[in-house]
Amino acid sequence: MNIVEEVLEITLRSLVVSGTATLLASAWSLPLAYILAKPGRLRSLMASILEALVGIPTVLLGLALYMLFSRSGILGFLHLLYTVRAIVVGQAILITPLIAVTACRVLKSARESFEEMALALGADDLQAMAIALREALPGITSSVVMGFSRAVGELGIALMLGGNIRGTTRVLTTAIALSVSMGEYELALYLGGILVAISVLVSLTVRLLKGVQGL
Amino acid sequence: MIIELRGVWFAYPGSRRHVLRGVHMRVEGGRVVMIEGPNGAGKTTLLKVLALLYRPVKGVVLVDGDDYWSLDPRTQLSLRRRVVYVHERPILLRGSVLENVALGLKLRGVPGAISGALETLRAMGLEYLAERKWRELSAGEAQLVSIARAVAVQPELLLLDEPMAHLDEDRRELLVEILRELKSRGVGIVVASHWPQDELLRIGIDRVVRVVGGEVRAL
Repeated sequence: MNIVEEVLEITLRSLVVSGTATLLASAWSLPLAYILAKPGRLRSLMASILEALVGIPTVLLGLALYMLFSRSGILGFLHLLYTVRAIVVGQAILITPLIAVTACRVLKSARESFEEMALALGADDLQAMAIALREALPGITSSVVMGFSRAVGELGIALMLGGNIRGTTRVLTTAIALSVSMGEYELALYLGGILVAISVLVSLTVRLLKGVQGL
Repeated sequence: MIIELRGVWFAYPGSRRHVLRGVHMRVEGGRVVMIEGPNGAGKTTLLKVLALLYRPVKGVVLVDGDDYWSLDPRTQLSLRRRVVYVHERPILLRGSVLENVALGLKLRGVPGAISGALETLRAMGLEYLAERKWRELSAGEAQLVSIARAVAVQPELLLLDEPMAHLDEDRRELLVEILRELKSRGVGIVVASHWPQDELLRIGIDRVVRVVGGEVRAL
């Protein structure tokens, strides 16, 4: 496999791993965000805790998950360590607070304005919820995109849970770290450029889709 | 339709401060009530309680003699659909003006909602806005569109929060005409405004109440 093919393979793996992690995190973060967007002291406390976890160091989370997934760990029987599935789970957990908190803010605002407007206009509870969700969609999409960007750019989890195994678990960030440690700065910069381009392209595509759909 | 508040107290969830304190008030079809008072006095909250959107923490809300908050959800919905509240800040959906004005009719499953909305816009002299997108409207136009959306569903009671806030002189005149017309058709109108305005007086106000510190005083 030449260097171009290897870079392509690593890029594709990064996209699939972080894309899957984003989908997985969205599946539980968005319903959680909807629940937290309702008024209540306990919900507000939970939202504050999640907010504090948005900036959790990836190395710390990677270490915690490493201990869970290692052979002697509680979840060692799952044999996840040094597989892409472990990276997916780790990244999904990492971006959960980010997606939940940002989507919660959007939904809270949509509930306070659009849901109440719909109720004031004669909607039943389900109709009002549907209207609020529809109006919140651009903001929710942005929070998911932010989650993906955070996942694809993190290093600690991919390194500790994936092990940076060539042809198996190597992703863009771990490949950059390896290139730097080997003194191959040119390759590291090239891979870094790809990483930035992915985030920019995803963001632009979503913006374009929003424009097409009149969002 | 008659809505009557008896000893109503209201506090927002998670707050101990009562925004409304033992309010007694009655609004009915064909009458215009103006609610005045300084900012933060509780005018908007009072309107939302009258609009059957906020449940009081204490007291009773009677709709045509029935205790609204003890009725079953189905009856509550059918009563709530006879009252429409228009926010001070226009809240429009993404989409065209026509789609926005048709919203209330669609929510009620009215066939021909779009043509009904167009008819309302025509009657209000706003037909020229029909195809405009929500983001292409000025603040005054958006305000009129949100009022048109409320008028389209032919409410028995129309609750307006600072309806003149974003309107220029011509549009204020237009709104006065619309409200006078609605009153003559037997629609009850409640207008909250934090200062008395000549235009509002020309609608033919039957009663003015003043809200101060969450308490309602008749003037």
